[in-house]
Amino acid sequence: MASTASGAAAESSTPPALLCFDAVSKRYAGGQEALRELSFELHRGEMVFVTGHSGAGKSTLLRLIHLSERPSRGAVLMEGRNLAQLKPRDVPHARRRVGMVFQDHRLLLDRSLFDNVALPLLIAGVARVEIERRVRTALERVGLLSRERSLPLTLSAGEQQRVGIARAIVGQPPLLVADEPTGNLDPQLAEDIMRLFSQLPAQGTAVLVASHDLHLVRKLARRVLVLDHGRLVDDFRAGASA
Amino acid sequence: MSRGNRRRRPGAAPRALPGRSELPARLRNWRDLHLYSLVSSLGRLSARPFATGLTVGVLAIALTLPLGLGLLLDNLQRLSSTVEQARELSVFLKLDLDAVETDAALQAARALPGVVEVALRSPEQGLEEFRRYAGFGEALDLLEDNPIPAVLDVRPTAQADPAALVRALEALPDVELVQHDAVWRQRLDAWLALGQRFSWALSVLLVLGALLVVGNTVRLDVQGRAEEIAVVRLLGGTAGFVRRPFLYLGAWYGLLSGALALLVLAALQYSLGSAVETLAAGYGSGFRLREFSMLDALAVLIGAAALGWLGAFLAVGHHLRQDRFGEDSL
Repeated sequence: MASTASGAAAESSTPPALLCFDAVSKRYAGGQEALRELSFELHRGEMVFVTGHSGAGKSTLLRLIHLSERPSRGAVLMEGRNLAQLKPRDVPHARRRVGMVFQDHRLLLDRSLFDNVALPLLIAGVARVEIERRVRTALERVGLLSRERSLPLTLSAGEQQRVGIARAIVGQPPLLVADEPTGNLDPQLAEDIMRLFSQLPAQGTAVLVASHDLHLVRKLARRVLVLDHGRLVDDFRAGASA
Repeated sequence: MSRGNRRRRPGAAPRALPGRSELPARLRNWRDLHLYSLVSSLGRLSARPFATGLTVGVLAIALTLPLGLGLLLDNLQRLSSTVEQARELSVFLKLDLDAVETDAALQAARALPGVVEVALRSPEQGLEEFRRYAGFGEALDLLEDNPIPAVLDVRPTAQADPAALVRALEALPDVELVQHDAVWRQRLDAWLALGQRFSWALSVLLVLGALLVVGNTVRLDVQGRAEEIAVVRLLGGTAGFVRRPFLYLGAWYGLLSGALALLVLAALQYSLGSAVETLAAGYGSGFRLREFSMLDALAVLIGAAALGWLGAFLAVGHHLRQDRFGEDSL
């Protein structure tokens, strides 16, 4: 594959890809073809951007990873398991292996930052003492530990998105996917958020970010997948040195 | 989905566990999850006291009606069983019969088949009894004529068919009315049985109504929390995790309304009790209203909570079915 595997993945002789799209097509009920024969692999601890004009299939790609859609043809494999073959009752457990960051952060507005970030652990049935420790660690990593009792609406847009990231990484999933995480942010905040994402692979989390902000993507010098009308038209490593 | 759920229940938990050392931790987590649901559902109730009060009030009324009716019927049945099973028939003769005519009626009654003995109570004896037992002495003194007819007390044989005997006695000349307590009893029992059927039908309807009220209230709550549910689902929450707080919510509604229904019933009994006792004392009876025992009250509370739980289960189940994998939005 054309991937620039990280050091951790390269050690093993045939490293199983964390995420593998194998000739995936997705056609919606209306006949609209969102993805066509899409194939790529993502390894542990790797970071990749997915770019393309709106409607190129970025969102569909994320929905397939997150089991909100199933492919019409082809297979999506996460940690070697075909997601399309999961039984409905295994879907929640598979979703916990993927941290999600949304453009509009989707925080629960009536809950404190602590409770928002604790939600994935609560869902996974983590013990309470462990929850406190891990939520504090996650909030500290996004620099919001001092605000743990605040409500989301008292934060700025950039801070809210950082809480969303803390919620996505608190369960220590092997993969984090983000859908236009900087879409609502001004350039400076957007860069801060992207820098935060680019620190995660070093800690063992693979990151897949859908973004149309080509300028910012180039600046970060990571692997980039370019979609056009549902086809993968380019898979390259951004040239600029970080 | 429900299967994944079932595995979490305490009874089944040990089977799913590989190691023994994990068991206490798993149980603790299970308890934590339920505590979380319990507390968050209570929080939802107390966050909107007015809406909660309305729902609980409606439910309580829906529960009070069948419970009160059941209690009333139960009391009537106990009252009727205190009336002894009487086999004697009372034959009221026409007024203004002379001694010869009365004696002829007496002899005619004695001659009927199935009659063991006939005793005559003359109008004078009747008046005396009336004066003594019913306390109408002074009122009766005001009357110029004795208004009480002669009465024949007929004791039938054990084998005699009471209905046939009643017909035979009614056919005698100069007989005004034949009163048979057994017939009266039968009629009362028939009325009580009808009342019981009616109360069952009413109970079924009202319990269904209560189910719908809980279901609809929880449905509104589910709709109000659609975003939260969607986020929880996206973060990997199972259907059970989503459902649990609402089930507790429904159970709380049921429990509170059950308690309120018991309070209303107790208040009704308190206000009726003294009146019933006065009435019973007037008839020389020690009859008292039966009240709910602690066990009955407990059963009502448990039943009401179960009803709320079920209503919530139906409402959330409906929402979850609409929001299945592959159809929910990111």
